[in-house]
Amino acid sequence: MARRLAWPLVAVGLLLALAGAAVMVVLGPDSRFTTGPHAVRTDGVAVVTAPDVITYRGLQVDVLVEVPVNKPVFVGLGNTVDVQDYLAGTRRLEVTSFRAPWTVRTAERRGRPALPGAPTALDWWIADSAGLGGASISTTLPDTPVSLAILAVGASDLSGLRVTFAYGVRGGFGLGLGALLGGLGLAWSGVLLRRGSVAFTGGPRRPRRERGSEPEEEVEVVEEEVYVFVDEHGVEHEITAEEAARLQERLAAEGPDSTALDPGAAEPAATGPAATEPAATDEPAARVVPPPPVVYVFVDEDGVEHEVSEDELADYEVVDDEERDR
Amino acid sequence: MSRRSAPVVVLLACVLVLTSCTVPRPRDDRPASTVPIDRAGVERVLSRYDQVREAAAKLLDPKPLSTVESGAVLAIDTGSFDVAQRLSRGVGSDGTSDQVERLAVPRFTAYPLWFVVEVRDPAAKVNRVQVFERGSAVDPWFLVASPETVLSTRLPELRERDGAALTVDPRSATGMSMSPQEAADRYAAALEDPSASQARTIESDDFRAQMRTAARRNAALDGVRFSQTWKSEKVTHALRTADGGALVFATLERVDSYRVRDGIQVTWPDDSPQKALLESGVSSSGRLRYLHQVLVEIPGGSGRPRVIGQYGGVVEAEGP
Repeated sequence: MARRLAWPLVAVGLLLALAGAAVMVVLGPDSRFTTGPHAVRTDGVAVVTAPDVITYRGLQVDVLVEVPVNKPVFVGLGNTVDVQDYLAGTRRLEVTSFRAPWTVRTAERRGRPALPGAPTALDWWIADSAGLGGASISTTLPDTPVSLAILAVGASDLSGLRVTFAYGVRGGFGLGLGALLGGLGLAWSGVLLRRGSVAFTGGPRRPRRERGSEPEEEVEVVEEEVYVFVDEHGVEHEITAEEAARLQERLAAEGPDSTALDPGAAEPAATGPAATEPAATDEPAARVVPPPPVVYVFVDEDGVEHEVSEDELADYEVVDDEERDR
Repeated sequence: MSRRSAPVVVLLACVLVLTSCTVPRPRDDRPASTVPIDRAGVERVLSRYDQVREAAAKLLDPKPLSTVESGAVLAIDTGSFDVAQRLSRGVGSDGTSDQVERLAVPRFTAYPLWFVVEVRDPAAKVNRVQVFERGSAVDPWFLVASPETVLSTRLPELRERDGAALTVDPRSATGMSMSPQEAADRYAAALEDPSASQARTIESDDFRAQMRTAARRNAALDGVRFSQTWKSEKVTHALRTADGGALVFATLERVDSYRVRDGIQVTWPDDSPQKALLESGVSSSGRLRYLHQVLVEIPGGSGRPRVIGQYGGVVEAEGP
């Protein structure tokens, strides 16, 4: 069951992480996507969105409108009921559809050439701004139907209008980051879930505590007899049981003084967990150490010793120093 | 990272996602509508009304009132200011922001927009149930109705949905014995002729009795042919009450006509509005036009409508 869930979890996690990363890349650290400036062709006094064009709520929008030669201009966001009533009898350019980032459809509506009243005198705007040559608003779309209006103030018009539009999510970068981390977390959980299922199904059986179901690390104790030969330099050499037996027989035959096998070392060593390590196959084999070679020396009339080989012995009288010393 | 820490990672990630921000969503596809004002906005409207009203009262000039009042209220107040000028007496400031008792703001899909606020005026010992209306997006809020009730009168509970008061179509009698417009029409008919069949469908109240008494007294004048007509104006403001009835703001026009025999003159007391408008009285024929704003409660079911508040006065005079 857990194994079945693992891959979907990984897939969903990766998709979520990708989506989060995409949001972070698109919105950037300021959590906004900006488009424009875009030229809007009109010589009237009003540009307004139709009732169903702005359909989102909770979206952070920033609108900057600019007109040439420092003409007075107004931009405002208001309830659709108010905005539609305000501009119902006015000639206007109506935005009938809008698609991000900037695909706009418009329609000319007939009416009076002037506004029914100064937009700056109205108290129902949700967000509004007026200025010479430009104006901007920054607001979050409310949970009520709203329309955006760009209006000429006074006797001017909106010819040469340019609009820069930015939209985003307050904290959108954080959302992307959260999705990225969440996705990675899900994916990692999936991976862990899969590993866990392998361990449960294909791994060695492991003992469980009497209380609780937490698995415990299993330790297998293996006892092994190790035979060690110590050479004349005090170095230990591991040998097989057969080699040890042969060496023991040979040393017994040679006499007790030449015993080189450490009786204690021949005792089977009880080993711990390290003993479970596999034995190395290139372990050096035991060997019999030959007796030290006899050195023959010729002493000349000046008392200087010269080493003589065994083949040259026939030319000299052999005297054994050890026997002479005794 | 061990398997044990995986749930913690998932939980942390979920918390991060959920708490990072508010996700934008599409709005529902309901038609565009607005609840046009909140309590703070109402306070501002009432404050502005107070200032203008006080300035007009100080000047004894009704002209400033035209910036905050409209319709029948403006006509009635203008008449009272005229009378005050002629009688050289002051008018009350009728401050509205004394104490807001109740606020009812309906939801609208188109203009005009309006709301109802009940204001207690302890000095005058009345409650004013006022209707403020915005006729178009470029208009300010105008006071268009202001019937008064005695302090002991409790308005019926109003029905609300999604925080907005519900309105009643003036021509709809759903859940009631008659529609708001019918109630206003029948009430006017009952005032004009108490014996009319329509009068039996209206509850008797103090206002009817008071008007009937005054009409009888005028009709009893010797050598004077007196007639009185009542007509209701179009009802535009009605709220649904919790019992399924309606609270209706109706304006009634009353015209008192006098035909006086030669050699006789009809006069009124010196401090009366009629005397102020018809200073020399009526010697042959004369006409006085009144407007009365009444607050009509239509109970849910089959109950008869009754008037629980009124505000009115003489607005025009023709004579002698």
